[in-house]
Amino acid sequence: MSSDYRQARYEEELLMEDGVEREVEENPLPENIARERAPKIPDLPKHEVVRYFNRLSHMNYGIDTGLYPLGSCTMKYNPKYTEKLASLPEATSPHPYQPEEFSQGTLEIMWELQRQLAELGGMHSVSLQPAAGAHGEITGLMIAHQYHENNDDDRNEVIMPDTAHGTNPASVSMMGYNLVEIPSEDGCVDMEALEEAVGDNTAAFMITNPNTLGLFETDACEMAEVVHDAGGLLYYDGANLNAIMGKTTPGKMNFDIMHFNLHKTFSTPHGGGGPGSGPIGVTEELASYLPVPTVEKDDEGYRLNYDLENSIGRVKGFYGNWLVLLKAYGYITKEGRDGLERATERAVLNSNYLRKKLEPHLDLPYKSLRKHEFVLSGKKLKDKGLKTKDLAKRLLDYGYHAPTIYFPQLVDEALMIEPTETETKETLDGFAEAFASIMAEDEETIKDAPKNTAVRRVDETKAIRDSTLSYMMRD
Amino acid sequence: MVEREEKEMLGFLGVDEVDELFEDIPDQVRTELDIPEGLTEREATAKVKKKLKKNKDPDELSSFLGAGVYEHFVPAAVDEIIGQSEFYTSYTPYQAEISQGMLQALFEYQSIIAELTGLGAVNTSMYDQPTALAEAVLMSARIKRKGHKFLIPENTHWENDPVLKNYLRGQDIEIEKVDFDEKGQVDKEDLKEKMDQDVLGFYIATPNVFGVLEEDVSVFKDLKEDEDSVLVVGTNPLVLSLMKPPGDWGADIVVGDSQPFGIPQAYGGPTVGMFACGERYIRKMPGRIIGETEDSQGKRAYCMTLQTREQHIRRERATSNICTNQALMALASASFVFLKGSEGLEKVAKENYEKAHELAEKMNGLDGFEAPHFESEFFNEFTVKTSMDPQDLYERCKKEDFLPGVPLDDRFSSLSDVLLTAVTEMKTEEEIDGLVDTLKEVKG
Repeated sequence: MSSDYRQARYEEELLMEDGVEREVEENPLPENIARERAPKIPDLPKHEVVRYFNRLSHMNYGIDTGLYPLGSCTMKYNPKYTEKLASLPEATSPHPYQPEEFSQGTLEIMWELQRQLAELGGMHSVSLQPAAGAHGEITGLMIAHQYHENNDDDRNEVIMPDTAHGTNPASVSMMGYNLVEIPSEDGCVDMEALEEAVGDNTAAFMITNPNTLGLFETDACEMAEVVHDAGGLLYYDGANLNAIMGKTTPGKMNFDIMHFNLHKTFSTPHGGGGPGSGPIGVTEELASYLPVPTVEKDDEGYRLNYDLENSIGRVKGFYGNWLVLLKAYGYITKEGRDGLERATERAVLNSNYLRKKLEPHLDLPYKSLRKHEFVLSGKKLKDKGLKTKDLAKRLLDYGYHAPTIYFPQLVDEALMIEPTETETKETLDGFAEAFASIMAEDEETIKDAPKNTAVRRVDETKAIRDSTLSYMMRD
Repeated sequence: MVEREEKEMLGFLGVDEVDELFEDIPDQVRTELDIPEGLTEREATAKVKKKLKKNKDPDELSSFLGAGVYEHFVPAAVDEIIGQSEFYTSYTPYQAEISQGMLQALFEYQSIIAELTGLGAVNTSMYDQPTALAEAVLMSARIKRKGHKFLIPENTHWENDPVLKNYLRGQDIEIEKVDFDEKGQVDKEDLKEKMDQDVLGFYIATPNVFGVLEEDVSVFKDLKEDEDSVLVVGTNPLVLSLMKPPGDWGADIVVGDSQPFGIPQAYGGPTVGMFACGERYIRKMPGRIIGETEDSQGKRAYCMTLQTREQHIRRERATSNICTNQALMALASASFVFLKGSEGLEKVAKENYEKAHELAEKMNGLDGFEAPHFESEFFNEFTVKTSMDPQDLYERCKKEDFLPGVPLDDRFSSLSDVLLTAVTEMKTEEEIDGLVDTLKEVKG
């Protein structure tokens, strides 16, 4: 794409503005709990509602529109056959409490997905219950918590490097653990700092590998040894699994617990924020701690198993985001061993190709060989009075979604770029050209961006100041 | 073509083989995958379809199951709307300018839930009802700094308890249970007795897990104010087109699941955790929130707001760890509500009410059945007491392709002879009478 890109720009008032006052007539509920005034929701012709949302969709950008290189989000193409499968009535209709014999298809797919993921993670057992990556993380910490409690071990610290995803420290706090953040050296875990940090209080060590700089942590096995020797568990944040499929597994690196992001690595769509799915895998030693129910296979077929000796219990209602699980199962089944390894290889090739294409324009801190993503520093932009944010906004004018910005925090003015395997060389070249073209532009044009999108630069400060969070809150 | 392109790219990087890009992964951790080779799209589709066919054909089954997930009609236009690829293939709207469509749609969702609950501040979703409740308990502790107890009545869904237990590990908050009375409503005496200065907040579900509606809600507001604690109300969004908004009778936080609005049963997920609260608590809320603002030219615009509460900015000091939520399902709910309109929603709600009461009355007329078992007002779900063993009854109905309700004997020791039966607008007169006839035959 180019600066000729134009996103649709409609003036769309909220439908909620069309609601009218009306009384509820013949309300069957007892008077003291019956609503008198009907909710102010408009009554509109169906086709007007469809047109409205259709126009809104034109003011939105998805992976089907173009390149979406958000680092750590793995925005790869979402295949259409899995969407079709997940819309079949056999998939959408089952009630969660219907008899297991009526849900054999669903249970068989869930069981097979448990096995596929266990293999992909090098883990012994998998639970499909967590609804998202952060939900998987906190489930993993609950397991660590229960494990230590069963050993009468009162550990209260979780260690992680300063490159960790924001969800990691947030999950740690929610679980009441103290966070111990260790500084990185040359972008990777500083082994000395880790050795110093571990001890009798170490409940777990959390890390993603490759890390958020896209660097493979080559000392992974040494880390495992240090943490295990201190009696702690190792947690693998699976957000970056797309970089290692068929090459290595968290299990092989001696991790004890991990989560998978099915909406990243396994190509289920992200839906503008969700639903995702964050299954977790554990070693044999921890298998009995998984949330219940898990899906088991016996002579009579597939069934829900609530009987796990040390189970932490539940982390959500029912069994997980089934329709997301189904899409991931379809994807893994179609891609197979060869397809998944190819996906990883191409993702890493694309990342390194684009990295080298962009290196002339901005600084690349730390060593150059990256896995599926890389992080540039926009500090050079400061000389021109610009920020990374300005560059990101100007990229929108060229019809590209911006990379993740200002993360990881240890890189000044960071731009985190993950092209994924489903982009062609031509797309990557186009993006690099746009980058080069922007770097040659005058500051005003860049600061004034975006101008080709549905709205111009959005005033986020006003949004906070006004805090209008619903039509009702409009003054 | 792919091969030629990759060769060029490798050449640009100065390497011969793609595996050279993996030389930083030590040999000692190298491994190969042991899963089958890939299939074509045609083969994979056939394989998955064949497995799905092992599920019971939904057209051959008449289900009266509810207990948190309900069979409602989903207009075809809902699927069309959430199937727009600009919506479903987008990520969280970090770049507001290029994501106005989703942002505005989610703001509409927040506005709908605000209107229904009577509470102005709404987030774009939690995972589901139990996790929304868990987040509400954690938020109560942020609102009321003093106190260590949170009261949960026994008449709330059995899947809430284990989720709460896990979310409260490591927190200095204890769950104390409150009894229900002979009408299935919260035992107000027990609640009053347990309310003291140490109580952070309490939860009231209406309808509760027995389908029962609380008939005197004014008492909760008084109790809350007496002890300056937080009132969390759980409800079904469909009943809110008939029932007084909880915000009007004292709720500080309302949770529930918007699944009845345009989302299929889907074996329990994905659904959408509903979360609304009073405007004065906005900085204590968990999750993503869309706010209204302007662009640099003064044009109305939307963006994610109050992000300093969130994990990607605040890290260990965030109000929650939630990142990915259930946004597309919130869009489904918003489009469902607009397609129905205020009058349509009310009509569906009344139809649910009427059909459920019709079935309850017919069941109650059968020998050996009492429906509803709890003599309280209900919406679209009620308890049935049977003189038979409920598991046996269930098995025998199942053989006739009827699922008469969820037996509660596993869940409540005092309800060993009770089923929980749901009736939505989807149940035809033939199905309702069919179930009654089947029960009659089974009873013999």
